Amino acid sequence: MKKGLLFGLLAAVVAFGAGAYFGRSTKQDVVISSSTSGASYGGGFKAAGDAAEALKTAAASGALKSVAGPAPTNVVVVKNGESIQAAVKAAPAGTIIRVMPGTYHETVYIDKDDIRIIGVIEEGRRAMLDGQKKLNDAILYSGNNFVAENLEIRNYKGNGIMGQAGNNFEIRNNVIADAGVYGIFPQLGQNGIVEHNVVSGIADAAIYIGMSDNIHVAHNDVFDSVAGIEIENSRHCIVEHNYVHNNSGGLLAFVTPGLPIKTTIDVILRNNFVVGNNHANFGAPGSTVAGIPAGTGVLVMAADDVVIEGNIISDNKVAGIIITDHANAANITVDPESEPNSDRVSILDNVMLRNGYDTIKEVKALMLTEGKRGGALDIVRVGPSPGSCIINRHQYVTAGLGDFAECAFTNTAATSTYLLPPVPPRVIKPDERGKVVFLGICSGCHIYNGRMIGPPVQVIQALYLDNPQGIADYIAKPVKKRPDYPEMPPQDYLDPQTRLAVAKYMLDVKN
Amino acid sequence: MKGFRWLKPLLGCVLLLGSGALWAADGRAGFTSCIACHGSKGEGNTTLGAPAIAGQDAAYLQRQLQHFRAGRRGTHRSDTFGAQMRAAGATTLRDDAAVAAVAAYVAALPKTRQAAPAKGDLRNGNNLYHGKCGACHGGNAEGNPALNAPRLAGLDAGYLKRQFAYFRDGVRGADPKDVPGRQMAMMARTLPADRDLDDVIAFIHQQGRPK
Repeated sequence: MKKGLLFGLLAAVVAFGAGAYFGRSTKQDVVISSSTSGASYGGGFKAAGDAAEALKTAAASGALKSVAGPAPTNVVVVKNGESIQAAVKAAPAGTIIRVMPGTYHETVYIDKDDIRIIGVIEEGRRAMLDGQKKLNDAILYSGNNFVAENLEIRNYKGNGIMGQAGNNFEIRNNVIADAGVYGIFPQLGQNGIVEHNVVSGIADAAIYIGMSDNIHVAHNDVFDSVAGIEIENSRHCIVEHNYVHNNSGGLLAFVTPGLPIKTTIDVILRNNFVVGNNHANFGAPGSTVAGIPAGTGVLVMAADDVVIEGNIISDNKVAGIIITDHANAANITVDPESEPNSDRVSILDNVMLRNGYDTIKEVKALMLTEGKRGGALDIVRVGPSPGSCIINRHQYVTAGLGDFAECAFTNTAATSTYLLPPVPPRVIKPDERGKVVFLGICSGCHIYNGRMIGPPVQVIQALYLDNPQGIADYIAKPVKKRPDYPEMPPQDYLDPQTRLAVAKYMLDVKN
Repeated sequence: MKGFRWLKPLLGCVLLLGSGALWAADGRAGFTSCIACHGSKGEGNTTLGAPAIAGQDAAYLQRQLQHFRAGRRGTHRSDTFGAQMRAAGATTLRDDAAVAAVAAYVAALPKTRQAAPAKGDLRNGNNLYHGKCGACHGGNAEGNPALNAPRLAGLDAGYLKRQFAYFRDGVRGADPKDVPGRQMAMMARTLPADRDLDDVIAFIHQQGRPK
């Protein structure tokens, strides 16, 4: 009897010892890579021509980046009490508009090329555009080579600065607070810089790069917003040296399904501070942005070729990095034409501290299946992300990363910028007017079959059936009909033919 | 005389109250013909195919009653419950005023909820509801008169499924004069799978329910 018991006990001890031993032996299998000596990410954009090479060299040597071309020589000055819009109207293409300190209650539309609106800062006093919570947008530009600098923008309901299909833009040194749904929102642009802005208190994304290409977002201070910096349905973007703190979600690279441009590819998120993004999510319930769990440092959803390197990611309570797909995200309606997975995500060295201390129940369940106790979580992957990789994985508390390979590169040093010399303006064929206006303006809030900010296009199609004129009239003078949606800003700056063209496009579009 | 200045406006109030009471009385009388199927509180009766109507938007109720009366609803041969509604209900209301009165009366009844909420994948239901339904029927399925969209939160799963299929298959919302019905018909054709409808209904039944 005693012998039997002892044997049983011994067997248990041996099993325990073996477990501990095997446990240790897997720990000894760690692959340790040096990010300073390994191969470098080759980048996903191949610029053509000598000029592109020259610009790359300039950027690498630390020279000032510029994409808007040579500065115009024509200069006008707007003083407190005068109108910026009046100056823009009077100005020929190719004008610097200097705005003196003061308060300007207006919306400024820029539809010509080479306009630069440059605030003059005197002893800390800026030119302030104040929407008084009555106006929708501070600045809407559709011209190319647009520059906005040194402005202060407050109390708008729609957008701080929104670009509508303008290329070669530079938005820098602006202070934007409580400016509505989007703080800085270049939509459908190529070759742009967003840097040294201080953006806060935004109900969706503080900086939203939408359906754009070759964008550089750097040195911005972004806080107290639902989403900090969003790279959405855009390609070849670098987001670096930003301080992103106390938003609900910090850095986001994703594909919103139901937008006309379907991909996010090649995004480098590096050397940012992503700290304490635990702000309560104040996005409209049911909207896409309201689906971001408050406490998310970095979110990759359905974006491909995202590289995450050199960030300090700390104190985000749900997780430091979440990688997911459309099927697992909240408030997302699947789009059969959008590839739903985050393919080829590369996680290089990052400093990660105190993340995931109070995570969501879905993630806790996943951690349990891997025998992890919770209380800390740096990186979690939910849903397929084929071809993804990580280096020095032993540093982090992870969940769902079992099939991540070792990365073939350890740094992104070889890719300094995706910016180009000024690119030509977007070509708009006469029969594509409605489409381009939809892409450049409407799709900032309306996606085909989901709730972004406004109602889905599919619902608008059902409501208006065969009545495009009804849409054209409504968008000129919208009436609030939905208590749980923000009010639509009037689009009366578009002429009646353009409004009808975009209305027809909306009724015809199939996805 | 000075002391009687307040009399005139007060008299107005009494008259207003009086007409309101008359209206309500008229509506209550009309409602007696609804009770047999829709229940004494307008809570509905699933075995009779009668939906909950208590607290539904007055304009919606009025519109549907007029559709039944005019043969824009309940005339398709597959809509047997609709045919009953045409025969038993809508034709007993003698004129437009009677229709308006009963609609106003029913709209003022306290809203009801489904005692046993339908089951389904609430996450999928949430996503699809917000993506397709909520823009008109409201984020909490409470309905939105500005968009002619009725409240869904109190309706039983059987009725919701049946009407959804009617809209999808051209049984309801096919009449050119029923514009909101045509709008719904178009949306009903966009839901990917039948299973999705179960999930959406499960989501709808969770709305307005204490968590």
